[in-house]
Amino acid sequence: MTRKKPIEWIRLDNAAKIFPPTTNEKDTKVFRFTCELKDEVDRDCLQLALNKTIVLFPVYSYVLRSGVFWYYLERTDMQPKVVEEYRLPCSTLYHPNRRSLLFEVSYYKKRINLEVYHALSDGTGALGFLKTLLHYYITERYQEDFKDKLPKLDYDASISQKMDDSFLKHYTGNQMSNRVSWLTNTLIMNKPKISRAYQIMGRRSIDNRMKVIEGVMPVKDILELSHRYHTTLTVYLTALFIMSIYQEMPARSKRTPVVLSIPVNLRNYFPSVTARNFFGTIHISYHFNKDKAELEDVITEVKAAFDRELTQEKLSEHMNRLMSLEHNVFMRVVPLVLKDKILRYANHINDKKVTASLSNVGKITVPEELAPYISMFNCFFSARRPQIGMCSFQDKLVVSFTSPFVGTDIQKNFFRMLSMEGIDISIDSNYKDLYSI
Amino acid sequence: MQNCENCKVNVTGKNRVCPLCGGLLQGQGSREEEVFPHIPTIYQEFNIFLRIIIMISLTTVIISFAVNAIFTKESRWSIFVAAGICCMWISLFFILRKRNNIPKTIMWQVVLLGVLSVVWDYSTGWLGWSIDYVIPTIFVGAMIVMAVAAKILKIGVRDLIIYLLVDGILGFIPIVFLIFGGVHVRYPSVICVAVSAINLVALIVFEGDSMKAELDKRMHI
Repeated sequence: MTRKKPIEWIRLDNAAKIFPPTTNEKDTKVFRFTCELKDEVDRDCLQLALNKTIVLFPVYSYVLRSGVFWYYLERTDMQPKVVEEYRLPCSTLYHPNRRSLLFEVSYYKKRINLEVYHALSDGTGALGFLKTLLHYYITERYQEDFKDKLPKLDYDASISQKMDDSFLKHYTGNQMSNRVSWLTNTLIMNKPKISRAYQIMGRRSIDNRMKVIEGVMPVKDILELSHRYHTTLTVYLTALFIMSIYQEMPARSKRTPVVLSIPVNLRNYFPSVTARNFFGTIHISYHFNKDKAELEDVITEVKAAFDRELTQEKLSEHMNRLMSLEHNVFMRVVPLVLKDKILRYANHINDKKVTASLSNVGKITVPEELAPYISMFNCFFSARRPQIGMCSFQDKLVVSFTSPFVGTDIQKNFFRMLSMEGIDISIDSNYKDLYSI
Repeated sequence: MQNCENCKVNVTGKNRVCPLCGGLLQGQGSREEEVFPHIPTIYQEFNIFLRIIIMISLTTVIISFAVNAIFTKESRWSIFVAAGICCMWISLFFILRKRNNIPKTIMWQVVLLGVLSVVWDYSTGWLGWSIDYVIPTIFVGAMIVMAVAAKILKIGVRDLIIYLLVDGILGFIPIVFLIFGGVHVRYPSVICVAVSAINLVALIVFEGDSMKAELDKRMHI
């Protein structure tokens, strides 16, 4: 007699619910974390390391399926295969009606790339996976260096903690008043007028190719520079991004504000070590018609906005609002086909309120035994609009611009402002003019 | 390492122009430093095979209208040709859209062909052939095709179960026709209901647990 395998499945977490309906070839909702090593990558070692890592992160062997009312994740026995990078960065990982893993590990020369579909995990979760992968890869590849003592794995969480739906855990407001207020707000459309943000326009490439431009610079110099403006690195670079967008704005569009959407890692505000999604977004806006167009003014405003938005109460309030939407009885019983349309529309409305996005993954640390083998980390995201992903490792800060548009003026403004301040930047890009190939 | 004099940045890899400003670069680049592989642009084109069938279908429709207009002015047979081709395309559309999930494709075809046959029957003067023969036959046929396809293509029971269940339930529809009249030939409908009942019993007896788990999973709210 054959033993039947039980069906293992989990619900999508709150933040993940928006991704499946809004995924398409223009915006694949895939993000990439890259680690550049000092030596060329060895394929077999990497495959071995991946086999070990996947055991510790069960959520990565789940595939996305659609039910009658909701999408869900279902466990499979599929084994991930390491591939040499063969397609465009952040290519589609989720194909409706097909069982395919929602992540991919690829390599190219010295780089190991981890690409993850956002419904599965957020940046911090994926970084945990990549660090574990690196740990196994480096200890496997350089066995003789680790003969005496294996370094400790620095991601300390049980499997159930990694599988945790932290939104559900920290959701407090399940009160009737919440639901009623949601109803009045959404169904009767009794909400404040939507303020449109400036929308960046541009020509797309034929195959929806995303343009990636990475700038590598010394952390120390940028820190010094931001201290000169009496502020932090994140605030300084956010303000710089707003300024570079402003310089390309047509005069007519200055009636609308520039709004940056910034994902916030909620693990810093609520206790959680989940490897799934646990993030919220805040909006930082600057109105050039009303306020002055000097960098100092933008910095002051951005700083104030960060202080205002980044409080536990504000984030908790925002999270509870989204959660009550999900727990709303009316929303739950709508069939998925309709729900897709509603969520797509909601997403469309939301998009109008945002000009561009910036994600700061922050400082990445690895156990000191592993650090000598690693040269830098890098991260970027599939983008409907110009987007910055940044992270630092040791003395290298990497700012990656992704953009669906062919034009590079905003990127040029941004990096030029930095190089004018005397920062030493080296640029690389996945985009070539035809003659360089 | 190359550098751009205007942007005052270094550029890795081998480029002719600066990725930021498009100005000419100074210095000698090297292929070795490239961090992204070169991936050529693929121009996505409509499948040539699909284009040919579209061309053939449209030509057929146009020619039949023309022939109809010239030789047989009093009859309107060309409308049936157009409607037939239209139905073929509706069916093909769903096959192409759902092609990654075979049991689902079969289910969609069952419903679609059922509806289309009734529409045809109705618009050609309701002789009753659609509910007499077509509907019972496709419901039973689908069950057999699903079972055989699952064996050949090695589709797991879990992926099949829900569609067998839906088809089994649909298979009871002919009961309505039997009770309220409307069928002239009874035996296909009776066979269809009987086969559906056996199918449901078999599902519950052998796969009852997985069926419940599968339903819980797909229907969770």
